[in-house]
Amino acid sequence: MKPVYLVKGNRSPQAKSGTILKDVAAPYLGHYLIRDIMDQTSIPNDQVDEVIIGNTGNPAKYPNVGRVIALEAGLDKKTSGYTVHRNCASGMEAVSQAFVKIASGRSDIIFAGGVENMSQMPLLYNEDMTDFFIDLMKAKSSTDKMKVLSSFRLPHLSPVISIEQGLTDPFCGLNMGQTAEKLAREFKFSRTQQDEFANNSHHKAVRAQQEGKLKDEIVSIITGKKLDSLISEDNGPRADSSLEKLAKLKPYFEKKTGTVTVGNACPITDGGSMWLLCSEEAVKKYNLEPMARMVDFHFHGLEPERMGLGPVLAMDGVLKRTGMSLDQMDLVEINEAFAAQVLSCLEVMKNKKLSDRWNVDLLGELDQSKLNVNGGAIALGHPVGSTGSRLMVTLAHELGRRKAKYGLASLCIGGGQGGAVIIENLNQ
Amino acid sequence: MNNKKISIEQKEGIYYLGFGEHETKSLTVISEETLLEMDEALSEIKGDKNAKGLVLFSHKPGCFLAGMDVSVIQSLTSEIEASQGCEKGQEVFNKLEDLKIPTMALVDGVCLGGGLEMALSCDKIICSDNKKTALGLPEVMLGVLPGFGGTYRLPRKIGLTTSLDLLLTGKQVKAKKAKRMGLVEAVMPAERLLEKAAEYLFKKESHNKTFQETLTEKASENFLARGVIFRKARQTVLEKTKGFYPAPLKILEHLEASFGKRRSSYLSNEARMFGELSQTSQSKALQHVFFLHDNAKKLEQKDKISSVRQGAVLGGGTMGGGIAWLMANSNQSPILKDINLEGLELGLKQSSSVFEKALKRRKITKDEFERKQRSIKPSLSFDGFQRSHLVIEAVVENMDIKKKVFSEVENYVSDDCLLTTNTSSLSINEMAKALKNSSRFAGLHFFNPVNKMPLVEIIRHEGVSEETINRLYKWVLDVKKTPIVVNDCPGFLVNRILAPFLNESAYLLEQGVSIESIDKAVLNFGMPMGACRLMDEVGIDVCSHVGEIMEAGLGPRAKANQLSHKAVEAGLLGKKNGKGFYLYDDSGKQQDINPDILKLLPDQKTEMDETTIQMRLILPMINEAANILDEKIVDSADTVDLGLIFGIGFPPFRGGLLKYADSEGLERIKGAIEKFASEVNEQRYELSPYLKKLVENKQKFYEL
Repeated sequence: MKPVYLVKGNRSPQAKSGTILKDVAAPYLGHYLIRDIMDQTSIPNDQVDEVIIGNTGNPAKYPNVGRVIALEAGLDKKTSGYTVHRNCASGMEAVSQAFVKIASGRSDIIFAGGVENMSQMPLLYNEDMTDFFIDLMKAKSSTDKMKVLSSFRLPHLSPVISIEQGLTDPFCGLNMGQTAEKLAREFKFSRTQQDEFANNSHHKAVRAQQEGKLKDEIVSIITGKKLDSLISEDNGPRADSSLEKLAKLKPYFEKKTGTVTVGNACPITDGGSMWLLCSEEAVKKYNLEPMARMVDFHFHGLEPERMGLGPVLAMDGVLKRTGMSLDQMDLVEINEAFAAQVLSCLEVMKNKKLSDRWNVDLLGELDQSKLNVNGGAIALGHPVGSTGSRLMVTLAHELGRRKAKYGLASLCIGGGQGGAVIIENLNQ
Repeated sequence: MNNKKISIEQKEGIYYLGFGEHETKSLTVISEETLLEMDEALSEIKGDKNAKGLVLFSHKPGCFLAGMDVSVIQSLTSEIEASQGCEKGQEVFNKLEDLKIPTMALVDGVCLGGGLEMALSCDKIICSDNKKTALGLPEVMLGVLPGFGGTYRLPRKIGLTTSLDLLLTGKQVKAKKAKRMGLVEAVMPAERLLEKAAEYLFKKESHNKTFQETLTEKASENFLARGVIFRKARQTVLEKTKGFYPAPLKILEHLEASFGKRRSSYLSNEARMFGELSQTSQSKALQHVFFLHDNAKKLEQKDKISSVRQGAVLGGGTMGGGIAWLMANSNQSPILKDINLEGLELGLKQSSSVFEKALKRRKITKDEFERKQRSIKPSLSFDGFQRSHLVIEAVVENMDIKKKVFSEVENYVSDDCLLTTNTSSLSINEMAKALKNSSRFAGLHFFNPVNKMPLVEIIRHEGVSEETINRLYKWVLDVKKTPIVVNDCPGFLVNRILAPFLNESAYLLEQGVSIESIDKAVLNFGMPMGACRLMDEVGIDVCSHVGEIMEAGLGPRAKANQLSHKAVEAGLLGKKNGKGFYLYDDSGKQQDINPDILKLLPDQKTEMDETTIQMRLILPMINEAANILDEKIVDSADTVDLGLIFGIGFPPFRGGLLKYADSEGLERIKGAIEKFASEVNEQRYELSPYLKKLVENKQKFYEL
């Protein structure tokens, strides 16, 4: 395998759905990012091999967001572009495909990342209404039409909420929140433990914002109905977050007995993230200064109802694949889909019996000072298609700042999978 | 037959007449030769008993016929000659209309004036969906009317009301709209036109009249309703033209008088009207302006000059945002750089507001708005400047800051990137000193608001290369603006000539002439707005500042007035803060005269007749223009007139400032200036030696 360089990575601000990014259609969460990176290099716009974009809430208007982003970013029309979907890890899948293509020598210069506008996920007509339309189109005579029209009932109009369906596992029938409740029950994590974790995430993120640490990775995006204002900051982190406030929230997914609230789960979010990946030849040719090297990646499946444990299996896989150990990692990102789910992962990692149950090596206890140091998705949000590559962006920037060596980014994937990537910082 | 203008081919009984086969220019126009060849061809077809149909088409993609050659119109020296010319054309087109076989025109691209009149003489028109396809009768813009039967055939084809709209404004319609109004039978891809010609030629008319069309048609047949239509149209024309332009009124007069008349008398009336209009001073002036503009669009070996594919703008204010809009609108994906987010947002707001207006008028779609506005990259760094082919600087008007900016930006751009400044008052020669390589540097002076003002001054300095000037010239044409090339001097061309006009207005005010009478006199001269109103628009602070620069640069003859200075001190800045000579509401709409400004004016009022006011203001402009020609700031009177018409809206029906001076007689102008010199102020009315020489040699501005 040839070495694969993570030359530059950036992201849009992340905003809770229905807020400041709600009008920014998916392609426009990505094209600024490519342009911003291209403008920092001397790579001609017709020398990019491919654009690979992770996206899950596929907008009807842009069936292949990847190609649209390539063109909107001003890359040459010959640039190939496509879109990948691996639920929550779509952005990581995109980067991983780029990795394979460059490592194998097929490609030299690839943009890979993810975009998600969850605000714009549509409401759909239900099946009854769809049938009604089909019947109406088929009806030829006016009597037939009248007959069909008279079959209309008000419940026909109750919409299918695509985002709700998307976040429910079709195999086990649980929605993502319910899978987190299941882990909380099985691993006996109390409501308070979860709220403490969430509170911590907010305060870490707010501190990072205040110290200006996130500025380097964020590219300002034009927003507003009139497209005349700029936003440059995430709007998720709450400086006034407290255990008392979090304690007041009602359980969302299991109303009576549950412990998972909107406060200790990640919010629905809009955002995008991007990487420029290059071969060694391209790095030399264009005199690039890569931020990091991508060491390897791994994806792994498990039972859908415990999808939250995915990171453990994926981390185990990528460590085995690379012959590395968790101790070697200077920083670790485990995506915070739910506080209960991250806490459960940490538990499995340090517990021999549990590790055996999921057939992974005992990874060991993770030093809390290495985990999600600038806050996680509970504060920053989780734009599903983007998070996989967003974690890598945040990780690489922080490794660079610390002049540390290795970092690992992992996340759980709805449907019962986990994904993990190891990168090596080159900014010494 | 040895044809040059028309190709003739016959296939299965159908004749195909093609235009523009050997045309080397981008547009094919109708010449006398075209009409002669056409006449012969029609005779031949008329005599052919086996002829089944006739199809007119163009060999040239994107141009059917762009109308009669304007130089032919210009060469007409009498009303009779002009009328007779029309009659000749009318005869040919009548012959086409009278053919017994089905006839059809295939229109791809521009089909204007005589071109459309020819197409209208066919039974049917079908056109391509090409973006360039545009049909219209723009004769009114040259101060005449369509003289080849257009006024007769257009109303018959699309109804009186719709045709009035086209005839009176000269506006052009695109394919889709042409279909909707019933002007064309069908719209299809250009490549299919010839292929489908035979099929459509023999097809029955398919245009079903809508209820509204039937209604308006019925209305125009009704004597009373027709009266209302004409009265309303006349009212609109007078509002728009303020009575300065006779052509639209003549068109109305002709249509009303000829309505319902037989073809022969209708057409002879049309020819007579054309003859009359073609000899009016207004039409002559408009023809002159047409050529000024047309010549400005010419650039030798344009295709060999490299285009700007990506631009960059420094400074996100009103001008910066406007220029970013211009680049974004021309698909040049500009970088908009400022030193803070607030500046960037100001620029984005400026650009967005222009796009939004276009969106409201349905000139662009919502998707285009989004794409174009988002093609602007707001940036705080110089990243990406290495990809730009043109940088336009629009930061604060301060020589030191601008010099600093240029010496910095030079480090980030490629060697062939053009560097320009949008300064309106600073010396280009001086600024060029900040650059290591100043051969690719020039001034690029836009007028505010960028989206509306058609003129761009390209300012030379001593070290600029011809390549730079040519590339900038091409760029200005590419973004659909009109360029003029000017040498460096205070105010460049337009502002240097405008300055004495505004300065003198303030002197008139100081002398006790009222705001109302000055603005009224200026409007009645034909200027788009009054002098005081214009100072509000420009900003009284800007006027005051420019006044100082002019005085410093040109000496006592440009001695600045005191009034604008006092007004600025009193916080009266003009439209920008809602208080100037007039008051303005929050949306910028003009209200009453500002009582605060009256406090700065003398209590003693001076009554002055309109002509004197006009001369007090216009003569210093002519005098300064003469100085400019003397100093070789621009190459010719053409450039002066083009600059003033497109830069400040000097009335086109006067043909331009110097054309106007010529027509008034330079001897008289000189006399009037000398009179003011002795009566008003010796220095401000100091006769230009250049003008003096012209008079001595009995020359005109346009005879050089």
